[in-house]
Amino acid sequence: MAMAAATGSAGVTGALASSRQGAAVSRISSHKCFVPVNFAAQRFRATGKGIGNFVIRLEFALGFFMPGLLERWLNGWYGQLGVGTRATIAEAVKSEASGAVSGSLRDQAEASFSLSKDPGGPDFFLLDLAEKLENSVPSEEQGDSLGARALAELRYKSAEQALNLRWPTNKDEAYRFTDVRFLKNLDIAPTPAQPASVPNFESELGLGETEAFRLVFVDGVISESLSKVEGLSGGAYVGSVCKITADSAGSALSQALEYLGKPAAGTQDDLFTFLNGLGVQDAGLVFAPKGVQLSKPIHVVYYSTGRGGSKDGEEVTSISLATPRLLVVAESGARVEIIEQFVGAPDQVYWTNQVCEIYVANGAEVSHSCSQEQERSAVHIKQTHVSQGEKSTYKLVEAEVGGRLSRHNLQVIQLGSDTQTEFSTFSLSSKRQVQDLHSRLVLDHPRGISRQIHKCIVTHRLGQAVFDGNVKVNRFAQQTDAGQLSRSLLLAQGATVNVKPNLQIIADDVKCTHGAAISDLEEEQLFYFQARGIDPLTARSALVFSFGAEVLQSFGNDYLKKRLERLVKSSLATDGVVNPNVPVGQ
Amino acid sequence: MVSRSSFCQRFAAGVGGLPTSIRNGAARAGDVGRARVPVVAGRVQLREKGVLVCGEEVGSLKTQSRRRWREGSSSSVTVSTNAMSAQLEEEPAAKGEARVILEVQGLRAVVADTRQEILNGVDLVIREGEVHAIMGKNGSGKSTLSKVLVGHPDYEVTGGTAIFKGENLFDKEPEERSHCGLFLSFQSPVEIPGVSNMDFLRMACNARRNARGLEELGPLEFYGFVAEKLTALNMDPRFLDRNVNEGFSGGEKKRNEILQLSVLEADMAILDEIDSGLDIDALRDVANAVVGLKKDNNAILMITHYQRLLDYIMPTYVHIMEAGRIVKTGDMSLAAQLEAGGYNAVQAMKM
Repeated sequence: MAMAAATGSAGVTGALASSRQGAAVSRISSHKCFVPVNFAAQRFRATGKGIGNFVIRLEFALGFFMPGLLERWLNGWYGQLGVGTRATIAEAVKSEASGAVSGSLRDQAEASFSLSKDPGGPDFFLLDLAEKLENSVPSEEQGDSLGARALAELRYKSAEQALNLRWPTNKDEAYRFTDVRFLKNLDIAPTPAQPASVPNFESELGLGETEAFRLVFVDGVISESLSKVEGLSGGAYVGSVCKITADSAGSALSQALEYLGKPAAGTQDDLFTFLNGLGVQDAGLVFAPKGVQLSKPIHVVYYSTGRGGSKDGEEVTSISLATPRLLVVAESGARVEIIEQFVGAPDQVYWTNQVCEIYVANGAEVSHSCSQEQERSAVHIKQTHVSQGEKSTYKLVEAEVGGRLSRHNLQVIQLGSDTQTEFSTFSLSSKRQVQDLHSRLVLDHPRGISRQIHKCIVTHRLGQAVFDGNVKVNRFAQQTDAGQLSRSLLLAQGATVNVKPNLQIIADDVKCTHGAAISDLEEEQLFYFQARGIDPLTARSALVFSFGAEVLQSFGNDYLKKRLERLVKSSLATDGVVNPNVPVGQ
Repeated sequence: MVSRSSFCQRFAAGVGGLPTSIRNGAARAGDVGRARVPVVAGRVQLREKGVLVCGEEVGSLKTQSRRRWREGSSSSVTVSTNAMSAQLEEEPAAKGEARVILEVQGLRAVVADTRQEILNGVDLVIREGEVHAIMGKNGSGKSTLSKVLVGHPDYEVTGGTAIFKGENLFDKEPEERSHCGLFLSFQSPVEIPGVSNMDFLRMACNARRNARGLEELGPLEFYGFVAEKLTALNMDPRFLDRNVNEGFSGGEKKRNEILQLSVLEADMAILDEIDSGLDIDALRDVANAVVGLKKDNNAILMITHYQRLLDYIMPTYVHIMEAGRIVKTGDMSLAAQLEAGGYNAVQAMKM
């Protein structure tokens, strides 16, 4: 198969970049370590199982191979595409001789990956939005409590940083495949901090069914009446940062506030992080002191009422913006389980621009489930900044099924050795849905273990999925064991997926695997069903559903798992991809 | 009542001095045997000509056996035009003779992508109650034969026929072949993450029930049904909650295949190297499970490299495949010769 051949050569090792990254490549090539022997946009044609052809673009430049420096296994690299589907895989794997590359060169290359900071004059749209966000924060919120002061400081700092940036376009590498320009054409209305009347969504979400502490944000502000945090012990805290008063000054709790808005060094900036910081009205804090294992998970619900949003028929005219923020601090040896759930009022137009900061201290463990079930016209932009201390564990399970645009920037920075990191993510893109995950894992210390699986299904020709998975194994991260696998299922003609798995390996004693597969369903699996007498349609349904179920099954919370399975199934059935009567996952 | 094959077997037992214990149906052969000796002699003659019992003899009886399937145990025999049929005609179809389940004739197949020919005229006849074993070097086409029979899309049939219970297999989709009662235990079953074994088995079971006009089993009824099968196979019920083959050990995968075979109650099971990757105990368990499923009205075709499996599941016939065709057919002694001298010794003997 053409793809196999392509990946075979890519497997030699390569500093590779897509055409848009040409500048970065030329810089790298000037260095002795990288001698591009070939830089060409290569096209491969492969014949589909059905009728017609499709094109897989694999653009890469080969670097200079230094034997013995890099151990890399390519897992499951193959591609099979449905008729008329589109996919791009732009893969970057860099290997460098330990210590042979100057810092400035790396920085240069890196800079081209991150947002362009070139001012080119002020962005008036951004200025306008910043002002609106600033005004949405009522002055009494800027109260006297320790938490309120920390928030005020965060707003101040964020304003400064936000105004130095521009609204991202597809010229910025991080937003190359994801269109966020349409937001500029909308009237963005930050939600006022006054409490909104909220319909009863508790029963619909089955919140009563879940044995958990509960923290509910309504339009970015914590609702005391809907939250339920009684019974915390051992000095743990779950609630609004604004409720942390001067009385607790000097305590471990007040020290946790120090982490607010101060991500670990090496975290990449994003405009939307600062927009959140600028307009943040309230922030939740989950704090587990040294050695405390929270008895129940903390279920954080983000509900958007859509106040200020409006639609003219199908056309969205204004969008309501909420900026919730969550800070999770697990001190050494603590164990915390967080469930984040994003929902909203039906048929409303809203944008949730959330930031979640998680500090996992030495030996602590945080497991994090995240479910995004927003309305189809809603926008969801989320930043997750995680830093992990020595011997700590961070596990994320995520399902993104709602929203018109869903963008998640997930960054994990390793602060000590022997860490464990797991990401299992699933996204479903149907008609006019863009599901985008940009994950970044930076390993600076030895013996880190990481496992990542990303799965996405695109079921409509107007659906798109984007995945950029970066794993950076720096010079001192020896004996790292990092695995990444991305699998995409394109089930409609014209469906699009843009996948960019990229590994940057500097350490020379590591085990890294990665694989990216874009395909229709696997023939072998389909045949296995058929050989057992199950007709192809039922087999397809079961396989499509199970494709996502592999990730959904990792959700620790049974109720949420069942709910997501139902949501995914009904969405798949609506698009005619599965037969809803197939008895799988019941 | 006696089956034609059991005649042959009894005769073989008499002539070759083979242990009768391995002879399936030998007990039933009984008193009628003597009267049929001339006929059997005709068959022996066939063998001496170097023409092999299974492939050649029944090849000529294609029409006959097919008709017989339709007419059940009626003893009508049609005159075949085949030259060899002159001798075979002498053998009347005894009443209640075991019916032919699978009849493969001149089967040729190529790899769909590369057009490389793998099967080069396979002839094989399998009757109810029989166990056939196919042995042969790697790459001789054993697995391909099994996959072609169940309709694997990687292979394309370019010639020959395969009649299963009187119907042409190649007219059917893979799932229809399964509905008819054909089952393949895969050499390396694929993992299906996200689909539980329970769901999978129930879908498969209900698909077959539907095809037979039976009512589908609900989750509870099915549990009762499958629990029995699990007990019979001495398997842990937790098997059902796991995803199909996901993270299964080699032994678990093979057991799971046998569980599926038992749930589907197939009439003919093709077991593609169910002994590969198994430790000694697991092999015994799996083989015993297969023996437990063996009945007078079903048949087994197993593919293996080693005699050990055959010691558990006594085959009626052992075939040797080479370069895409069956080149030699015999009984257990053939497997023993293979074990002792390898394929070269057996080839030399053939000459």
